[in-house]
Amino acid sequence: MTLEHRAFIYDGADDFVSVAVPFLTAGLEAGEAVVAVLRRAGHGPLREALGEHAEAIAFHASEDFYQHPVRTLKIYQELVQAERPRRVRALAEPVWDGWSARETLEWARYESLINVAFAGSGAKALCPYDRTALPPEIIRHARETHPLLASGAFTVRNPEYVKPADFGARCDRTRRFDRPRDAAYLPIDSADLRGLRAFVGDRAAAHGLARQAAQNLVTAANEAAANALRHGAPPAGLWLWTEGPDLVCEVGDHGSWPDATPLVGFDPPESALQRGFGLWTVRLLVDLMELRAGWDGTFVRMRQRR
Amino acid sequence: MGSMESLWTVRRPVRELRPGDHAWLAYTGREEQHHVTGAFVRAGLDAGERVVYLSGAAPVTAPRLPAHERLSVVALGRGGRRGGHFDPAALMRAVAEAVADAGDEDHRGVRIAADMTWAVRRPGGLELLLDCERRIDIAIGPSTRAIALCQFDRARCTAAELEALGGSHGVEVVPDPEFEDSVLRIVRTFRPPGLALAGELDASRHAVLLEALTTVAAGAGREVHLDLSRLRFIDLGALNILADTAAHASGRGALVLDRMSPQLRTVVETVGWHMLPGLRLGP
Repeated sequence: MTLEHRAFIYDGADDFVSVAVPFLTAGLEAGEAVVAVLRRAGHGPLREALGEHAEAIAFHASEDFYQHPVRTLKIYQELVQAERPRRVRALAEPVWDGWSARETLEWARYESLINVAFAGSGAKALCPYDRTALPPEIIRHARETHPLLASGAFTVRNPEYVKPADFGARCDRTRRFDRPRDAAYLPIDSADLRGLRAFVGDRAAAHGLARQAAQNLVTAANEAAANALRHGAPPAGLWLWTEGPDLVCEVGDHGSWPDATPLVGFDPPESALQRGFGLWTVRLLVDLMELRAGWDGTFVRMRQRR
Repeated sequence: MGSMESLWTVRRPVRELRPGDHAWLAYTGREEQHHVTGAFVRAGLDAGERVVYLSGAAPVTAPRLPAHERLSVVALGRGGRRGGHFDPAALMRAVAEAVADAGDEDHRGVRIAADMTWAVRRPGGLELLLDCERRIDIAIGPSTRAIALCQFDRARCTAAELEALGGSHGVEVVPDPEFEDSVLRIVRTFRPPGLALAGELDASRHAVLLEALTTVAAGAGREVHLDLSRLRFIDLGALNILADTAAHASGRGALVLDRMSPQLRTVVETVGWHMLPGLRLGP
């Protein structure tokens, strides 16, 4: 059951409704689980255009769904699992304003990852992009992350589509991995990680992270350190420093990870028993996790904002 | 000891019982009785002490006791069914003999274990027994060589009876930890069946978690509860072990995580319960 992931680049409200309404009602006719995730302001007009069909469709606010890219993947994964064996048909409008350049890029990566995470789900998604309101960069990303394009009543293959691994690699090239000289350092040399948790926990509190954000960072750092001990090569260590409101925690070891891809830890496992559960969960626990597998070792950088 | 003393009733694991302790156990089911009494008896035999097990009339219903030259079983009841007639004098005689033997230089001490539930159920049994308990307190309390452990079946005593019995013992015995070091403690629980975890759990202690889970899962056909109220940290690897245990416990029911702190609970919710099939959040 292949995924149908299409971008719908539209001009104005009439254009939007003329495609969104038939897309959603076709799902109702086919007995699919139909959801509409869009900005709150758009709920009223779409309900009106759907008329009596609106009752059978689950409406969600994009403002709630799109807060953290990896958590959004998880929300959709839970939705798809909960509806099985029914297929899911979703109108899915992300939130594009209010993000930094780096965050915007992570959301573009998220759109690309949908093609991997839901490849076998049989789900159908229509992602609306308002050409009259969104910056050209976001429209360009839309063309690179959706294999299909909605064009009036038709769906066409998108020749500009970039494979997720390639798109991810391109996102990764924009990252910087320098580390301040005065970063606090703790060697990781024992499976008993109590000292490491206290080290991270104390600094998280001093930085003013909320209790839960601190506990999440401690759990994530513990996992990265346990991985470095289990799979990496010594010496392993942990660095901590602040960047404005961010507390940055990096765990590194001298092991090489030649088959690490830009998709590592992004594809949601089906359960905790599958490979990849640890890294996926680290991505969920912190605001941003970046993995770098280079000639000089493997580094997991975790960032938590206060 | 009088009723004043009951205000200071202390809870003590089996291995920390010491001479002079007159302890009690209100057990829930044979499993708990065997677990605690078994540890009590083994500890005595291992230390070269004598062990005297007092029971109702034959056939003796003592929990699986090892055959051992320093272990003797004394049937107290006379005739009749379900333990027979309760004779307080016979009880006091048996206790006095055991305590007197403890002064014998051949032995390092004596442990007296008795399931007295049958006596509570005789007409007027509770009052007779409470009187005996007071006298046992006087006999054991000053002793530097004797320990007594009285056991009662919760299911066959009323709340008021249990309260009165508890008040007549200075020590409430609890199970020895399955594991304990400066970071983590794992203790068996019986109401509900499971484990209580306290402290912090990371990869360096996954093996002991797995071992403890195996012992509790051995009594099949039921849910296993983990009391996490005093667990401050759990790593993702341990969550994975719990999910794996639940997944392989086919027909045994789920693992239930009880009383998690809000912080741990949010971590698990971030992971997602759908990632952890077979695990369930308890009260």
